[in-house]
Amino acid sequence: MAEEVKNEEMEELLEEEDSQKGKFMTFQTGKEFFGISISYVNEIIAMQPIAAIPEVDDYIKGLINLRGKIIPVIDVRVRFKMEPSEYTDRTCIIVIDVNSTMIGLIVEKIAEVDTIADDSIVPPPSLGRKEHEHNKYVYGLARTGDAVKLLLDPEKLIRQDEIEAVMEDIRKED
Amino acid sequence: MAEEFNTESMLDMFLYESGQLLEKLEGIILEKQDADCFDDSDINEIFRVMHTIKGSSGVLMYENITKVTHKLEDVFYYLRESHPDDVPHMELVEKVLAVSDFVTGELDKLKNGDTPDGDEHQLVQDLDEFLGRLKGEIKKQGIQMPQANKHEEPKQFYITPVAGDDSHFYRISIHYRSDTQMSNIRAYSATYALKEVAEDLLYTPDDILSNEASGDVILAEGFHMLLQTKSSKEEVIALIDSSEAEEINFDELTKGEYGKALAEFGREDAITIDLGEEQKPEEKDKKKDKPQPGDYVVKTKEAGKGKTLAKNQPKQQSIISVNVEKMDALMDLIGELVIAEAVVLQNPDLKVPGLELSNFQKASGQLSKITTELQEVIMSMRMMPLTNVFQKMKRIVFDVSRKLDKDIELEVIGENTEVDKNIIEHITDPLMHLVRNSVDHGIEENAEDRTTLGKPAKGKITLEAKNEGGKVYISVKDDGKGLNKEKLYQKAMDKGLIDNKLISEFTDKEIFRFITLPGFSTKEEVTEYSGRGVGMDVVVKNIQSIGGRLDIESVEFEGSEMTLIIPLTLAIINGIVVQVGNSPFVIETASIKEFVRVGEDSLIHEPSGEEYIVLRGECYPFIRLNERYDLADSISNVEEGIVVVLEHEGSQVCVLIDKLLQEQEIVVKPIPPYVKKVKGLSGCTQLGDGSIALILDIAGLLIQDGERR
Repeated sequence: MAEEVKNEEMEELLEEEDSQKGKFMTFQTGKEFFGISISYVNEIIAMQPIAAIPEVDDYIKGLINLRGKIIPVIDVRVRFKMEPSEYTDRTCIIVIDVNSTMIGLIVEKIAEVDTIADDSIVPPPSLGRKEHEHNKYVYGLARTGDAVKLLLDPEKLIRQDEIEAVMEDIRKED
Repeated sequence: MAEEFNTESMLDMFLYESGQLLEKLEGIILEKQDADCFDDSDINEIFRVMHTIKGSSGVLMYENITKVTHKLEDVFYYLRESHPDDVPHMELVEKVLAVSDFVTGELDKLKNGDTPDGDEHQLVQDLDEFLGRLKGEIKKQGIQMPQANKHEEPKQFYITPVAGDDSHFYRISIHYRSDTQMSNIRAYSATYALKEVAEDLLYTPDDILSNEASGDVILAEGFHMLLQTKSSKEEVIALIDSSEAEEINFDELTKGEYGKALAEFGREDAITIDLGEEQKPEEKDKKKDKPQPGDYVVKTKEAGKGKTLAKNQPKQQSIISVNVEKMDALMDLIGELVIAEAVVLQNPDLKVPGLELSNFQKASGQLSKITTELQEVIMSMRMMPLTNVFQKMKRIVFDVSRKLDKDIELEVIGENTEVDKNIIEHITDPLMHLVRNSVDHGIEENAEDRTTLGKPAKGKITLEAKNEGGKVYISVKDDGKGLNKEKLYQKAMDKGLIDNKLISEFTDKEIFRFITLPGFSTKEEVTEYSGRGVGMDVVVKNIQSIGGRLDIESVEFEGSEMTLIIPLTLAIINGIVVQVGNSPFVIETASIKEFVRVGEDSLIHEPSGEEYIVLRGECYPFIRLNERYDLADSISNVEEGIVVVLEHEGSQVCVLIDKLLQEQEIVVKPIPPYVKKVKGLSGCTQLGDGSIALILDIAGLLIQDGERR
């Protein structure tokens, strides 16, 4: 019996994964559209009061309280070294879950959920400027309709080296 | 095979149960370590523990565990049956602990997802040899040898349940292919699968698990089962694993035929029953429970047996184990509920003048009462007694004192003191260190050294826990040589750990605290147990990380006492909410000495930019939180703000804040690890309105302050 249940669960999971495949949450920041694979996205919430934390990088805006869970939020614009914009009614927080780390992304405007086929994703053109800031987080470009969307790699976005630094700290403390 | 019946949950169950049993086992052993021998109930208990672990590890096919536990079971079987007089008790204790360690080690491997591959041969040999010696001694004394433990699998006897009208009766014979490996285990898995549906199940050969030779019998003669069940033929067939089986004969019997078949099977059993009763008096009670004369006596559910026995122990509370994550989730939810309640009850909509609210007030009063109670219950659920931790300490004292050849007695007081589960996890290692230190460094090397000082030859270590004023005190006290102040001072000076000051400038406590400095170790030689110089500073660090501290008392030649003072719970602290700029901060009430308003004239400015405050002639370092953390819109004039005097471990610091908001109990939450650690902040919390406040960490502030200077 137990195994049957398990199988069903597995199937459901697989199905879910399947239905999420190729779907991207797209949002607008500045003039560009960005996309983030929907499998990372937990939920989208309206802008909330943020408790600032002292002595951290400027793009980490602070902490928000999401139904009792305290999660850090980062401003995508500042992260991309763009001029910060005023927060408006349309400003949203996309809560993503990357390897069990929950993080909120402040974005100017949510666009829509787009289905992007694998073959319409091309790697970002490299002009030999490998250190170019954007290319670190953008792993592909996708053309949908008349717009080009920059697909983000959330794992890079929250920067692996930072996580590693934190992990190291934790290890040291142990 | 084992995998076929959902090994995962079985494995969990096995790990959990075996872990519990081993803890119990160690408890018994350590309690009786100083006695001359185990009494009957202990022997029975150990026998049962071994038996259960053996049984379940057998089902899961962890052979090395099965073998080792089986051997020890043999030893205790022998002890139980023949009551030999000259049992070398200490050796026996060691053997049991060795087995317990071995099994614990294997269980740990399993928990980590590894295969339990420990080599059991040495241990089995030792046990064999030990058992041989025991028996040898008996022989010499001319006492009659009891029968060897052939029926390792004690049987459980049940009276055949009365068959209902809709019961079916089957005779099932399985013939396995001649090259089948472990046919006995396969047969067992078949019985195991059938047990689910069986009202009654009887099989032959009947010692399939314990007797490896039964595999050959099964191969030669087939494996025969009699089954009484409500399930249909098809259902039963589906349950039997037919891989490796050459032939399965399946006969449906009438009730009469079944009775006859039972008699054939049962005759043999009737003999065993008599034997069984003599051998296992503790099972008589079970039998008496169901006196139904005339019915055939059949055994079933062997695997379930260990469980039943273990759970039937008297005085055991009924307990379910819950995943800690679920508890934490519940805790979070209740925290949310409390906040939501505040939002509702203090809703601005209610403040409209002229509203008739008396019914609302009544209802809200009731709601508040329930939520408060709910909070108390969840808090109490997280509380666990220190019994397990203390038991580990007993083991350490036992091991280390024997290795170092010191005669030490351990007294334990207040092991039922309850503390938060999180705290238990954090104090086990530090406490272990302290206990080891006491055994290794505290108690004198030679008993003569003690007797010349007029102390009893046997060293004594007291482990005490008590609960006082919202704090838990756990102390490790020894009556050993104590700390020598001159030596400590000299050592600290030599290693350059302290400033160049005279010994008279330090208080006793300050000198004792030298041992907690990193890189300080008074023992000239590094031993296996302590003396690496990484001990005490780690202890202090661990304790501080949970908001506790270490107190050291010592009188030379009389002994030392190390006391851990820790908060009762990590999760909720009493705090004062203050505001700086637009940000709320929380300061733990216990670390606040006073609030003062000072004038500009009590400030001292150093050319380097540092500031001090002079209060009643004392000079304190001064931190402006707004400058430290770059907070805008805050008060920078000392006369307008409030100065909070904070104290931590004897050092003080003054902090300038804008205003006080309120005092409240706060639920501490960690700052998400993604945000790098900010010095001076220990966590965050939610306030009544749902907003987040950061919790100031006084120790961190002080360290940071020290570094700047």
